[in-house]
Parts: sequence; structure tokens; C-alpha cells
Amino acid sequence: MRTVTTLAVLALALAAGTLARAGDSKTFDREVSAEPHGVVEISNTAGEVQVSGWDRSDVSIHASLDDDVDRVEVTSSPGRTVIKVILPAHSWHGGEAHLRVQVPKDSELRVSTVSADTNITGVTGIQRLNAVSGNVTTDIAGADLELKTVSGDIKVKGRGLPAQLRITSVSGDVHLQNGGGSLEANTVSGTLVASLEGAKSVVARTTSGDMHLDAKLTRGASFEATTVSGDLEVRASADGGYAYEVSTFSGDITDCFGGQQAQKGYVGHSLSGSRGDGAGRMRLKTMSGDVQLCDRT
Amino acid sequence: MPRSIDPPRDLWPQIEAQLGAAGAAAPRRRTAPLRWLAAAAMVGALAVGVWIGRDLMPLPGAAAEVAQQPPANPAGANPGGAAVNAAFVSDPRYARQRAELMGSVQAQLNAMPAPARAKVAASLSAIEAAKKDLESALGKDPSNALLQELLINTYQDEMRVLTDVHEAGNAGRGI
Amino acid sequence: MAPSKGQMQAQRQESRVDWEGALVQRAVAGDTRAFERLYREHSGRVYGLCLRMTKDAHLAEDCTQDTFINAWKALPNFETRSSLGTWLHRIAVNVSLGRRRKATPVLEAQGEDEEGELGGFALETPVEVAELEEAIGNLPDGARDALVLHALYGYSHEEAAQMLGIAPGTCKAQLHRARKLLKERLKLEVN
Repeated sequence: MRTVTTLAVLALALAAGTLARAGDSKTFDREVSAEPHGVVEISNTAGEVQVSGWDRSDVSIHASLDDDVDRVEVTSSPGRTVIKVILPAHSWHGGEAHLRVQVPKDSELRVSTVSADTNITGVTGIQRLNAVSGNVTTDIAGADLELKTVSGDIKVKGRGLPAQLRITSVSGDVHLQNGGGSLEANTVSGTLVASLEGAKSVVARTTSGDMHLDAKLTRGASFEATTVSGDLEVRASADGGYAYEVSTFSGDITDCFGGQQAQKGYVGHSLSGSRGDGAGRMRLKTMSGDVQLCDRT
Repeated sequence: MPRSIDPPRDLWPQIEAQLGAAGAAAPRRRTAPLRWLAAAAMVGALAVGVWIGRDLMPLPGAAAEVAQQPPANPAGANPGGAAVNAAFVSDPRYARQRAELMGSVQAQLNAMPAPARAKVAASLSAIEAAKKDLESALGKDPSNALLQELLINTYQDEMRVLTDVHEAGNAGRGI
Repeated sequence: MAPSKGQMQAQRQESRVDWEGALVQRAVAGDTRAFERLYREHSGRVYGLCLRMTKDAHLAEDCTQDTFINAWKALPNFETRSSLGTWLHRIAVNVSLGRRRKATPVLEAQGEDEEGELGGFALETPVEVAELEEAIGNLPDGARDALVLHALYGYSHEEAAQMLGIAPGTCKAQLHRARKLLKERLKLEVN
């Protein structure tokens, strides 16, 4: 049993954050040419993936790899760059790879991880992101986004530009700030928080997770939010107004509009009405979750 | 700093003595699937086979209680007046797909880190609880279109979750 | 072409898992000799973890024994693809936390006690390591737990948090606190 180490090594390891990993990592650096609107695919199991967009027509990769990681494989063909972290076959302890990748900012970016967290900035092209338990954080600028996790939390920051946004998680929380265009968002038990500018179509669904939706809708927009037992809070405004129908089986309905009371049927409550000219359409449904509908200020 | 420190004395004799008290033969490995899998297998045989948007197809075997319930679902009645009684519908294709997915989901869950597994298990429990609550509520108000829609949404979400967890096995190995 | 260092290490690890998996299977079938082999292999790391968490040699012995007894009972549920060491550590953390709660509170020593011993356990190690062990032993419980699991035993923030039953953010905060206190105590200057 080895017991001898020096205090300096221990101190350095403490500062680095992981005593056990002192001296256990290797690095990888590579740069390849890439087309400005090409596809960049990155896959990693554990660790981290950080991607940033730049103005150069190159893909640059810097990685810190645990000893348990076999290698990083980079293949480059016209219009496509693929970066894969390769673990040894039958690896019984997943090694971590911390990737920092710079890509042409208009690239179509595809990232797939298991437990590695993903962090993306400055990429303005289409993004298709998958993670199992890793968290995903990204910013978007008018291009389509397809983002899926199993348990990882999701944070998306937009610029209010129209795009097709599909965000799904099984149990992760979803936070979307300043989205726009068309949103389809699903989580079973996570919390869904979204703010939207110029939204044309919104379909939001949870089973037990709460939803907090803040939306400025375009004229004639369609907005639908459904949950079984989560609570639903909606703040909305729309060009031309919107007609709304709120229904719940056993939850409560409150609105900020004053005057109209929810109708109590034999079973359940409902509330319907319109704001402004009623050009858009809003449907809010729950089984037992409470619903609150107010104007967006 | 050493991770491993030998105990000052050999602790095995005392441990061995207590293994005897605990039962020399360790208990048999549990083979029963998670409760939700067992419930899901049963429900699979009664599964809704209809993938719907707005319109609900009339299906045979409507429950006898319907005739005895007060009319008028106040929560957005289906314009066509049609109703789905989920308990009496089965679609072999749906049931087969579901059974296949359930077989792989357990393995995927086991491969996940414990915090992730706990979160996903909580979601699956939430879906199961939602189905039970909705079916129970539909038992009291079978023609309630809101409940019917929410139940079918829940079945769809369950299928989505099973598929996503199944596909999680391919994650991180390349797109 | 000769296998790379990484490939050789992977092969060694694969052999180790096969060997360990075979022992687990035999232990599940009731073979206490097989379980003893597993005990011999892992007792040092389990005791080391218990000792650092409980700061008391007697409690650490009890914790180690309870860990292996609980492991014996739960062994049929262990998935052989996972790490047995990590699994045992999870049990040890739970047992240590439970023991610590029940035991007479150990005073948070600000320095050496009257006998000049190091907070309830003493190691025959070089002075520098002993000084670091003492400093770690004097950390508040939560900070020490996070530091031991993450920095010494190499668990991720999420894994350590799950073992300790706290949120990952809390674990990170405790780790930060531990480093800060250690630096102050040891008067380290680190870039």
C-alpha cells in the first residue's frame, strides 16, 4: 500500500479539484478545415462537451481525457466533421473526456452524450442535441433546434427570432428564454418554463410537471398547454387577441381578467372567453392541476 | 493520501459470524420486474390502439355505467359525441411495440447512473399514477372528452418515454 | 503492433471484472469463502472511507463490518456490470452517516487534543500526509464528506451528492468550502 506523497502534490491536486485524478489525464488537440455551413457531429459518453461558434472555416478540438478514455477520433469529409470519444471495449468504469470544440458558427451541430454535460454558445446553425443524463445548455439565433434528454436539465436562450423548436425530456427541467416561432415542448415530471416572443404555434405538455409560460403571440397564433396533474400558469398577449378555453377536471381556474367566473359543471370547471379581437386560439387543459391565465405585462 | 487503509485488526471473523445470523444463503435475486412494468404489461393487453389528434373513433364495448351517468361533459364536449372507452380497445401492433420496448427499458435503466435512474423512475411512476387517476376519473364520468384526451396523451407520452429510454442505449456512440 | 498502455489497462480491468463477477455469483449462491475474498479485496478502501467520515477508529470498524453485512444481504441486487467498489462505498457512506448521527458528537477540534493525537485516529505516515489528514479530519462534517468522496475517492459531484443524499449544488458548495478551509489551515499558496 503506497502511502508516501508530498504535500505539494497533494496541494496541487486539491487545487485542481480531484486528488485522485492528479496525473491521470492526457490531452488531445486537432484542427481540421470545415465548410462554413457543414455538419459537425460530436459524441461523448462522460465528461463535458463545450462548443463555441467562430468565424473561421475550421473545426478546432481540444480535449482532456482520463486514462480510461481510449482516444478521440476525428474524421473529416466535405461538408462533414465527426468527433467521437472512444472508450475501451467492455470498459467497466466510464472515463471522462472534456471537449472544447470551436466550429464555424453557421454549422449544423449534432451532439450526442450520455452523462456528459453539453454547453453551446455562438452557434447560429441548426442544432440537434441528445443527452441521457447530461445537462444541455445552448443559445440559439433563428435556426431550428431539436433537443432531447432523458433526465438531463435543459436551458435554452434565444433572441426571440422565429424558428422550429422541439424540446423534449423525460424527467429533466426545461427552461427556454426568449424563444420564438413554433415551440413543441414536452416533459413528464420536469418543470417547463418558457418565455416566447412572436410565437406562432405553441404545444406544451407535461404529465406531472408544472408549467410557467409567458408568451407574446403573433396574429392568429395557436397555443395549447396540457398537463395531467401539474399546475399551469400562463401569461399571454397576442396581436389581434385570442379566444381561450380552459378546462380542468378537478383543479382550480383563476384568471386576472376579472368579472367572469369559471363555470362549474357536473364534473370539472371550465372557463372560456376572448381577449382583444380573439384572432388567436388558446386551449389549456388539466386533470387535477390548477390553471392561472393572465395578460402578459 | 492513501485511499485504502487496513483496519487495525482483522474484522472478517466477526463479519462471518453475522453472515451466519443473516442466513448463510444470501436471498435469491429478485426476478420480479418493477411494479410499473407488471402493471404496464397488464395494461398493454388493454391498451388504447388509437393515435389521435382531435377526433375520437367510436369503439365497441362501451361501459354500462355510461347510460347511468348524467350527461353533458362540461369540459369541452367532443362535437361528434363519440367516446372512447380505453379499457376495451387493443391494437396488436401497439401491444407488440410496447412489449418490445418494455423489455429493453429495464436494461437501460440499470445502466444509468443512480441519480438519473431515480429521476426516470420517478417519471415512469408519474405516468403510471396519471393513468390510474385518469382511468379512475373516467370511471365516474366515462364520456368526459377532456379526460379521454388526457388519457390518450398519457399513453402517447408513455410510448415516447419508453422509446427515448430505449434509444438512450445508443447515446454517446455516434449519431 | 503492441497494445497501447490504455488497451493493456482495459484488458486488466476486464479481467478484474470477470474475476470479481465470478466471486459475486458464488457469494450470491451462499459461498462465504467467495465473499471473504471480496472482503479482503475491498476492506481497505471501505475502512479508509469510514475512518475519514467518522473520524473515529472504533466507529470506522463498526461501519466497515456493517457495510459488508449489509452488502451480503443486498448482493443479489448488485448488477455485475457496475463497480463493486463504488457500490460498497455507497453502502459505507450510508452506514457512516447513520453511525455518526447516533454516536456521541465528536467535538469539532480546532487543533490537536490534549494527548496530542490526531482527532481520534493516527496513521503511521510521513509528517506531511499526517498534517493533511489532521486538517481534513478537522473540517466540518459536510465539507469533509464532500472532499473525501470527490477529491480522494474520485466520485463526480453528482455521484458524491447522491451518496450523501444532498443536491449536487450543495456538494459543490461543500467542496469549495473544504478547499478554502484547508488552504487557510495549511497556509497554501496555489496558482
